[in-house]
Amino acid sequence: MIAEAGRWFLNFAFLFSVCSMGLYAFASVRNNKKVERISNWFWGFKGVFVLGASIALIYLIMTHQFQYYYVWNYTSLDLETKYLFSAFYGGQEGSFMLWIFFAFFVGLGLIAWTRKPYRAPVMFVMAMTQFFLLSMIIGWDFGFTKIGASPFRTIAQEMPNAPFLQANPDFVPQDGTGLNDLLKSPWMMIHPPIIFVGFSMMTVPFAFAIASLWTKTYHGWIRPALPWTLAANLSLLTAIFLGGYWAYETLSFGGYWAWDPVENASLVPWLIGTAGIHAMIIQRKSRRAHKASLFFAILAYVSIIYQTFLTRSGVLADQSVHSFVDLGLYNQLLAFILAVTIMGIGFYLYRYKELPTPDKESKFLSREFMTFTGAMLLFILGLVIILGTSSPILGKLFVDNPTPPEIQFYNNWSMPIAIIMALATVIGQYLFWERHSWESLAGELITPLLITSTVSVVSIVLGNVTSIYYMIYIFAGWFTVIGNGTVLVRLLRKNPKLVGGTITHIGFGLLLLGIIASSVYTVPMLDPQTTNYNTRIEQGEVFDDEGFPITQKVEMFELKINQPKLLNEKYMVTYEGYELTNSPRPGQQNYRLRFEPIDGGEVFYMSPEVYPMLTSSGPNGVDWSVDPHVRTGMIKDIYLYVAGSKYVEQRNEEFERNAQNESMMPVGNQEEEQTEEQEDSQIIELSRGETKSVGPFSFTFRNFVPASEEALPENTQIGIRSLVHIEHESSGRAFEAEPLFAVYTEDDRSYTYSPPIEIQEWDMNVLFSKVRPESDTIELTVYGLDENFEEDWVLVVAEQKPFVSVVWLGTFMLMAGFSISIFRHWAREKNTVEKN
Amino acid sequence: MKPKLIIGIVSIIVFTSLLMYNFGNSISTYVNFEEAEARTSSHVVGTWDSTGEYGFSRDTMQFSFHMKDRAGNVRKVIYPRPKPNNFEQATQLVVIGEMRNNVFYANEMLMKCPSKYNDSPDFEKASTIES
Repeated sequence: MIAEAGRWFLNFAFLFSVCSMGLYAFASVRNNKKVERISNWFWGFKGVFVLGASIALIYLIMTHQFQYYYVWNYTSLDLETKYLFSAFYGGQEGSFMLWIFFAFFVGLGLIAWTRKPYRAPVMFVMAMTQFFLLSMIIGWDFGFTKIGASPFRTIAQEMPNAPFLQANPDFVPQDGTGLNDLLKSPWMMIHPPIIFVGFSMMTVPFAFAIASLWTKTYHGWIRPALPWTLAANLSLLTAIFLGGYWAYETLSFGGYWAWDPVENASLVPWLIGTAGIHAMIIQRKSRRAHKASLFFAILAYVSIIYQTFLTRSGVLADQSVHSFVDLGLYNQLLAFILAVTIMGIGFYLYRYKELPTPDKESKFLSREFMTFTGAMLLFILGLVIILGTSSPILGKLFVDNPTPPEIQFYNNWSMPIAIIMALATVIGQYLFWERHSWESLAGELITPLLITSTVSVVSIVLGNVTSIYYMIYIFAGWFTVIGNGTVLVRLLRKNPKLVGGTITHIGFGLLLLGIIASSVYTVPMLDPQTTNYNTRIEQGEVFDDEGFPITQKVEMFELKINQPKLLNEKYMVTYEGYELTNSPRPGQQNYRLRFEPIDGGEVFYMSPEVYPMLTSSGPNGVDWSVDPHVRTGMIKDIYLYVAGSKYVEQRNEEFERNAQNESMMPVGNQEEEQTEEQEDSQIIELSRGETKSVGPFSFTFRNFVPASEEALPENTQIGIRSLVHIEHESSGRAFEAEPLFAVYTEDDRSYTYSPPIEIQEWDMNVLFSKVRPESDTIELTVYGLDENFEEDWVLVVAEQKPFVSVVWLGTFMLMAGFSISIFRHWAREKNTVEKN
Repeated sequence: MKPKLIIGIVSIIVFTSLLMYNFGNSISTYVNFEEAEARTSSHVVGTWDSTGEYGFSRDTMQFSFHMKDRAGNVRKVIYPRPKPNNFEQATQLVVIGEMRNNVFYANEMLMKCPSKYNDSPDFEKASTIES
């Protein structure tokens, strides 16, 4: 019922978007206000339908209707409500819906605020993008071809050939497969909505650019488009930050950025959007760079659709750690990217000759030239990253079956570009507010340059930087911070409303410094033994079994319970055991590591976690996942995770044993195994109240407990239980057992009866084998406990990352700068609209 | 033609060719173990050969296993980290590293895990884990 309604809502939304697209086009061509008003109504109704479809999907998810494929695939019964809600946009179909929904709101804003000549053509472009996006989720099946994948399709529609469905077409699964555990994070809840807000808003400069080409009014469009572009960029930046922070905190690859195709795909639109902002600012200030602002406004949106194409069509499936499911939308996505590119670039080239050209070239030492240089560099960096990310397609020019480029490719290109950008920001900012000749500029820059040189030398010495390349880079970073900082101080005195750009540039400088410190100067934390071993590997002194030299360094260490090791000659680290909990994830282990700085600093604890991934574990094996602990600090972060532990190894062995028992072990063998086990028994004598340690366990005899009749055999003379407390010392896990001891007679002979009590977790059996009433002592026989019971251990990977905090600080300053600029430009635009 | 235009065109050509040259050098092609012997760094695609010995050694701190590449060659692979979480479930492995003396030393390993979208998902399994 509800799903049927949802499907109809989507169909109507699609039809209405087609209608509004046509009507807006008509209104633009004929300049017909009435038709435009009608199309606005169509736009509004389409939004209502999309809202209806979204509510329907959320309802299906909340009520756990697992016969629907989307609900089954992304949710499960045990999912918390907030994650049930975020599962709405957890899959491809739902995320398209969210995108459409946000773009609808952006459209409402445009209807309300856009000035006259642009409104209809801008809305035409908005409606066109909605048409394409909605076509991805309508799910029309014509038999010979399908259009879109509906979020409301049933399991039977998705998997018509599945045997269990052929047997019973009405089959409804009891539970869904659940949301990927890694995504159960508050950061991942807000990350997608912010991305789609950014995508939706980035449609606006594209729409304005098309409208400007259409109406041949090449100047006015940037005033309304600029605040939207700034806001889109702020959203994308926030989303990139959230993604990076999430990766750093939850994944075990050990960083916030890995040049992964999916990450790159989000960075490129931001870079090109930023290039567009620079061009628009020149155009607004000096009536130049019309061509560039149009070009970048178009390209920013093209790059968004291109990244959508790359990540959602399955092209990148082999290359990315992010798994995106191929929904068979390849052709539709290709049509979308082609339509947007041909419409944007084609129209641009068609009008190219008419576009205004400045009367004379700008001088080298002018704000126009410097800002334009910045825009070009951002654009070039974007191109380089697009090239690398497109390796599955473009790499075919060079080899068959291309692999992704080495990380070095990105670093080699981005570093010099960043250095030039850094220098351009300072000169550009000085020229932005005042005219300068070479002499006057040099005079202004003396003080900042002196400070920069001093600070750079200090950081190079303290950081032990040896590479000249890095020295130049660090100098450029500091120059950006200090040069722009000087401009900031002056602006604050004159007009604090203007500081947006300056703060952004300081943030950029900090980002450069933070990135180099945290990536190049990350050091593994190791114990002296491993460090020595690595030194010997470096010198080629370690050989493997076959006598060949080992070249790979060891970047982890083992800790035995309660046996401290010294890390990096700085911290005494002790593994103090683990705790098993079921919250927030069932079967999770919280490990406890004590860090004591040997120079007398404060003691602290790190608590990394390991948990079984529910979505991919089965009865045949557990898929373990790690959750690192990051201790953040101003100077440095300590990043640490448990790569292996005795508990995990034992659980895996258990699973292996079970699997073998089920498949091939005959019953006889199992018995044999048991008799074998019975040989390694231990006798423990305990008086009342006494505690004895045997291996890793401690046994305490608390008291005698009377035994109830039912448990005793017939003709019992004595029957008594003992209350025994057994504790695993390292983990603190404890059990209370009450083994029984009885003496009974049968055929005039006395027998003792001591049934074993099994403690499954430790594979241990406890028997109450003797009692000595005279001394108040009992004797326990324990099976499955041998003296060489292995002590608890963990394998730890730990890294020290300096100044990650500066990366975040730089990002926050970028965000703050963008926000200030949005307010400034928005206020100005609002004033002009109201005056009209 | 204006000299600025010529400079512009020349610098674009120089930049593009440099970029493409560098790009072409930094990507490589997926190879099999035999081809990898002649190279310093290679990407090999294949599957885990579960018949051979495998496991993590806490003495050498290495994980070793046997892998069968697409051409059917089986080689021992050494990976200097613990066994990755979802190793056994992976339907495809990509190892990146160097072949030496018939042993592949992987610096990186990527795993492709079975899609949830196979034809006969086991619904029972999913519910037993819950309990």
